[in-house]
Amino acid sequence: MSVLEVNNIIKKFGDYTAVGGVSFNVEKGRIMGVLGPNGAGKTTTIRMINNILMPDEGIISIFGEKVSYDLQNRIGYLPEERGLYKKVKVIDQLVYFAQLKGMSKSEATEKGKLWLRRVDASDWETKKIQELSKGMQQKVQFISTILHDPELLILDEPFSGFDPLNVELLKRIILDLKDEGKTILLSTHVMEQAEQMCDDIVLISKGRHIRSGNLREIKKSFGKDTVVMEFDGDDSFLNTFNGLKFVNRSKNRVEFRITNNELTLKEIIKLALESVDLFKFELVEPSLREIFIDLVSDKEEVNNDK
Amino acid sequence: MTNKSSKIWTIIKHEYFLKVKSKAFIIGTILGPLLMLLIVAVPATVAFLSEGTTARKVAVKDYSGRFADKIIATDPEIFLKTNLNEEQLKEEVKSDNFDSYVIIPKDIMEKGTATLYSVGGSGLGFRETIGSSLDKIYRNELYSDAVQQGKDTIMLKRYLYAVSIESYDVSTAETKEDTSEIVAVIGYFLGLAIYAMMLMYGAQVLRGVVEEKANRIVEVIASSAKPFEIMFGKVIGIGAVGLTQVTVWGIAFIAILMAGGTILEMIMGVPDTMAQSMPQGMAGGVSPEQMKILSTFESLQASLTIWHAIGFLFYFLSGYFIYSSLFAAIGSAVDQEQDAQQLQGPIMIPLIIPILLIINVLQNPEGILATILSLIPFFTPIIMTVRMVATDVPIWQLALSVVLLVLTFFGTLWVAAKIYRVGILMYGKKPKFKDLIKWIKLAK
Repeated sequence: MSVLEVNNIIKKFGDYTAVGGVSFNVEKGRIMGVLGPNGAGKTTTIRMINNILMPDEGIISIFGEKVSYDLQNRIGYLPEERGLYKKVKVIDQLVYFAQLKGMSKSEATEKGKLWLRRVDASDWETKKIQELSKGMQQKVQFISTILHDPELLILDEPFSGFDPLNVELLKRIILDLKDEGKTILLSTHVMEQAEQMCDDIVLISKGRHIRSGNLREIKKSFGKDTVVMEFDGDDSFLNTFNGLKFVNRSKNRVEFRITNNELTLKEIIKLALESVDLFKFELVEPSLREIFIDLVSDKEEVNNDK
Repeated sequence: MTNKSSKIWTIIKHEYFLKVKSKAFIIGTILGPLLMLLIVAVPATVAFLSEGTTARKVAVKDYSGRFADKIIATDPEIFLKTNLNEEQLKEEVKSDNFDSYVIIPKDIMEKGTATLYSVGGSGLGFRETIGSSLDKIYRNELYSDAVQQGKDTIMLKRYLYAVSIESYDVSTAETKEDTSEIVAVIGYFLGLAIYAMMLMYGAQVLRGVVEEKANRIVEVIASSAKPFEIMFGKVIGIGAVGLTQVTVWGIAFIAILMAGGTILEMIMGVPDTMAQSMPQGMAGGVSPEQMKILSTFESLQASLTIWHAIGFLFYFLSGYFIYSSLFAAIGSAVDQEQDAQQLQGPIMIPLIIPILLIINVLQNPEGILATILSLIPFFTPIIMTVRMVATDVPIWQLALSVVLLVLTFFGTLWVAAKIYRVGILMYGKKPKFKDLIKWIKLAK
């Protein structure tokens, strides 16, 4: 069952098209990644899903109904720009936001305390937000998003502002929520995070829909065209080849794709064995970031040709 | 629990308790009455100090036969004896042959009252000058009565009180009681109070909206409630804070009025039990200056009714709602408080105009200018409150002003909601006033 259906939505601000025809479906219990560079239209799309903005064209349905204020209580939204009342106590803040989502005060207080304990933050309960560090504030904000037990979670850049340790904590909580059957839409421009978390993805760039679908299938469709090499020695031999696109290049490890059809793997292995002490040579699927760059630049070329 | 009204209720409660629990509110609520005490004390003090007036001609009509010569002896430049009857006197005053006339009744020694008639109100200082002249004679006469008739405690008790002067304005068709100065002071005070409070609580709404926008809280709330609910909830919540504070102040104000005279009497005056041991002669009793302050309080008490309190609260709240919704709209349009300054101009102008016109309204509270001004909804809260104190405003005008205020409130709320809806998500631009008008058209 589709929890969220986005059907060809368009949003213009004056002459500027922020979102120009984006479509995707999110199935229950899955994590959908909305991916794209900054300014791609991710946040505008998410605001429309949250009924903060209305699309000029197209339809958004949640739980099988057209988006409306009546559905807001079943959604948890973490905006990209975080915001809390500076002079309000942590627990009061959590309770207020949960009450706005239709939860009773007593239940919100009880659950709020429970969540604070889960993120090791019981001590902050009666502290004011302005007394907390940025990272702590982020945790409070995240709890406020999920406190009212929403069926659909919309997280706009959820990991920004967290240190690596807390990123892991957050990932674990998100995956736990997924296991409980929650549906999650998360936007990010960090492809590595998306690759680890998402079941499905939708790629957008400059407001345009580029591709959407199952992440595994999208990756599979690109085939194994990326070489990973590890070795000891001088990597300058690689410079003799034309048509290598380096994804990563460090002292003892390189990752590249072959863009010159006439260049064979054999030639590369041969020269490598002669030049360095090779101990790994592997053919893998391209990373999501590479796929994204490919897809965006393809689309650009198609558009430029027109 | 999940219906719409509960959301707006949640917002109202949040706004209310956030403010009411704050230190600023508690301090302001306590300091307010102290400030008021000062404001009430000032006119009394001013009246106290503004002794002596320009020379005026006063005709003395003496039915008792004991005062006329003596009062003329105090200052022949001012007082003159007359044999004209009261109707003739009224005409003489109206045609400016002299400034006013004082009627000394036959029973002045028993009642201790005299009446002063003048055109356009006599003025507190002038009234007291005459009062103190009469006082001296009154006391002398009492004293000689007491000496002649033996010690009379009743007469001595009378000795404690000054002659009270009733003042009437003869300029209108009906001679009416003249309380012009007190009315002016109260009218001015209440008008300024409404202005200050509309501005104060309106600014709180603006600050609250800007804070939510600047701290990006508004996007979280906007995903939970309608923009209209967020804005209106804030306006009502802070309005409730204002009502709480005004109620506390109002009770304190009434308490000061009620207790003020008594307290002053206790400080300056002499309680009845001391009357027996009063030394004889001119030294005792309540001095005219003290009388003046006491009579100020008495006039204040007499000229304010429960309807003035209800009117004041209504006009304050309606004015607050109209202006605060506009302040909310402006707050939504800017990223930080400083940027709101220039956008506030068009709102501040209609707020300030009535303040500048209070004096004109007080001079002729029933005139066409006052009537028209008091029916312009943006001016009504201040001007109508002033008029209510200064005169008996016809019921139809009050009813019309209520209808116009309610309609205006719906209008400003509608406009503000449209601007707010667009404004809260606009960052980075410093909008001009014409941009706001564009947004009204933009919002569906």
